[in-house]
Amino acid sequence: MSQEEKAMEAIKDALRALRKRHLLEEGAHGPAISALSRPIISQGSEWKEKTEKLETELQQCYKAQSRLSEQLVIEVAESRTSKAILQEKELLINDLQKELTQRREECTQIQEELEEKTKMVDVLIAENQEIRSQLEEMTGRVQKAESENKMLIDRWMLQKMQDAERLNEANDLYEEMLAKLKANGLETLARQQVDGIVRRNEDGTDHFVESTIPSTCGHRIHAHEGGCGSIIFEYNSGTLFTGGQDRAVKMWDTNSGALIKSLYGSLGNILDMAVTHDNKSVIAATSSNNLFVWDVSSGRVRHTLTGHTDKVCAVDVSKFSSRHVVSAAYDRTIKLWDLHKGYCTNTVLFTSNCNAICLSIDGLTVFSGHMDGNLRLWDIQTGKLLSEVAGHSSAVTSVSLSRNGNRILTSGRDNVHNVFDTRTLEICGTLRASGNRLASNWSRSCISPDDDYVAAGSADGTVHVWSLSKGNIVSILKEQTSAILCCSWSGIGKPLASADKNGYVCTWT
Amino acid sequence: MAKEAVKYVWEGAIPLQIHLHKSDVASHPAPPPALVLAPRIGYLPLLIPLIKPYFKDSLPPGEDSIWFDYKGFPLKWYIPTGVLFDLLCAEPERPWNLTIHFRGYPSNILIPCEGEDSVKWNFVNSLKEAQYIINGNCKNVMNMSQSDQEDLWTSVMNGDLDAYTRLSPKLKMGTVEDEFSRKTSLSSPQSQQVVPETEVAGQVKTARIPVRLYVRSLNKDFENLEDVPVIDTWDDISYLNSPVEFLREEGKCFTLRDAINSLLPEFMGDRAQTSGEERSIDDTEEADGSREMGEIKLVRIQGIEMKLEVPFSWVVNNLMNPEFYLHISVLVKAPQR
Repeated sequence: MSQEEKAMEAIKDALRALRKRHLLEEGAHGPAISALSRPIISQGSEWKEKTEKLETELQQCYKAQSRLSEQLVIEVAESRTSKAILQEKELLINDLQKELTQRREECTQIQEELEEKTKMVDVLIAENQEIRSQLEEMTGRVQKAESENKMLIDRWMLQKMQDAERLNEANDLYEEMLAKLKANGLETLARQQVDGIVRRNEDGTDHFVESTIPSTCGHRIHAHEGGCGSIIFEYNSGTLFTGGQDRAVKMWDTNSGALIKSLYGSLGNILDMAVTHDNKSVIAATSSNNLFVWDVSSGRVRHTLTGHTDKVCAVDVSKFSSRHVVSAAYDRTIKLWDLHKGYCTNTVLFTSNCNAICLSIDGLTVFSGHMDGNLRLWDIQTGKLLSEVAGHSSAVTSVSLSRNGNRILTSGRDNVHNVFDTRTLEICGTLRASGNRLASNWSRSCISPDDDYVAAGSADGTVHVWSLSKGNIVSILKEQTSAILCCSWSGIGKPLASADKNGYVCTWT
Repeated sequence: MAKEAVKYVWEGAIPLQIHLHKSDVASHPAPPPALVLAPRIGYLPLLIPLIKPYFKDSLPPGEDSIWFDYKGFPLKWYIPTGVLFDLLCAEPERPWNLTIHFRGYPSNILIPCEGEDSVKWNFVNSLKEAQYIINGNCKNVMNMSQSDQEDLWTSVMNGDLDAYTRLSPKLKMGTVEDEFSRKTSLSSPQSQQVVPETEVAGQVKTARIPVRLYVRSLNKDFENLEDVPVIDTWDDISYLNSPVEFLREEGKCFTLRDAINSLLPEFMGDRAQTSGEERSIDDTEEADGSREMGEIKLVRIQGIEMKLEVPFSWVVNNLMNPEFYLHISVLVKAPQR
């Protein structure tokens, strides 16, 4: 075989090998693999198509969304504005509703008022009618009365004329009598002058009255709540002042037993009282360290006299001037007051407390009764002790001057009543009784206006009356049940008044 | 018939069964392997668009860096698929089971691949190399318009022989005169026309043929190809990129054997079909040092083994790759010390 043939052979061999390879490799596997890959590829392309479609859809959706969101923004803004408007409207509605309810309330109120008014009008109409009818009646009556009046006047005129005639007659008679009296008076005056005693009628002069012995109780007045510590009669009258623990001063008419007036203003218990000579003022000594001066007619407190540092237990006013008041208090002083000035002008000190005090007739000397049983005399102007006398073994409770100023009565806790002569300070008489016990340190006793009888109350409620001239008991008055604190004899002779611890005041005639 | 061979070469495809490496499996169950037909003249990265749809649902999240391996042995991507198959599978395994990785690119073994563009660049480069070897300069390639280059590459990618045949003359590559091709084609006025051109262009007495030679050396001798062990390191493969001096002698045909001998002079031993004269010399040499000498076990071009008497010019004209390179896979037994 030539080389060329060998070469050709080799080439053919190679070609055969290629064909074989083809059959083994791509020939065998190609169709299967392509068949397998087709769906994948087609799927891939399908997926691509799908994604493209979805992308375009998505873009459209985005566009739509942007449009919608724009719209939404607009809508939101609009809704906000409409909400705001709505709120405004709601507020407006609320306000209007409130107004409406208010108006309704007002309306109902007005309606009610209207109803009331109509009712009132009706009532008034009715009243008016009644009144008119009454008016007619009245006019009728008035006419009747006028006619009667006229008639009465006529009659009265007639009477008057008759009276005038009688009066004329009486006057004539009176003139005749006067003439007679004058003639008599001249006779008596001539007789008096002959006697040598000239009696002048001065203002302030006491009238002499006979005192009667009291025996019966006239009135029993419950004057004060609590005790009645002080009673005093007005000058020459039956009007009685009482002062009590209820801080009131009362004025009584002893004839009727009725209360005339009450004087208030005191701050403490009334312990002692004094009346001015003109009966215009009442001075009370009170436990509140003060003295009160009332004006009787008006009933108001004119002065309040302060200065004592303890309770004021006794007071007396000058009969002469009614200006000087002297008071004694438990601060062991006696003060002299001037009512016109209104303050204390002098103070006197001593060692023993004074229970009772009395000014002399001329108003210059003070008599004071003390706890040590002594009676002391003081000069008003200087304040010096003039004299002192031992009257009692125990405390002096009462000092009272007789009407003529010559005698002074002292009562003491030793149940003895002494009568001293004021000039000589000698005992003129001593009075005692077995049942007579003085109740307190300020039990007051008194002398009758005719200076003959002495009355003193006792702790058992009885009032003993002694006769000075005879020196014996003339009467024992029993009526009151509790201890007698104070006795006072009226300047006109009767009655005798006594006050007790329960506030009862009895008048004896 | 000349055309027939080229057609077979261009249509040649290897069935691949691509498995997704288990470290890249992120779905349950693991995806089944993909079956693709890989053109012999193509490259592995070009298959990625076909393969990826099979596995994309199973991939773990992240960037892909795709590479292939054959039984753990990373495959260099710039070697045509057919060559890899011939080289690494001593016993052809059809379908060829490869594993694809999407992560963990072994940058210490493989050069980076940026997809189709890297492959195209590699192709054009090889084209320039080949033209330089053949013509002495590569101006023809460089003067080629961009669109023509694109079309050329597209024709290679798609396996479009007609388009390629249309475009390749623009390269003005000289070819080896091959009277055998002429002879095998009974009536092919085209080839006759082509031949005078090429003859005018560059028929010379001596031509230089661009050849890439892949030599896989084995340690032991094997009787059966099935027993050849799986390759595990690229160190076992030596790569020669040297042209073959084609001596045209009257009366003498330059065979494949002559070409290989010129490339691998140390491997004197051939397979069974050897010429007698040479054999006697070989025997003695074999007797002396067959153990020292390596022995060529296998020569494969485009997946076929040929008689070594086949004229080299025919081989070149018919079995070369589109970039005008001839890839030869050789399996040798390594010389021992």
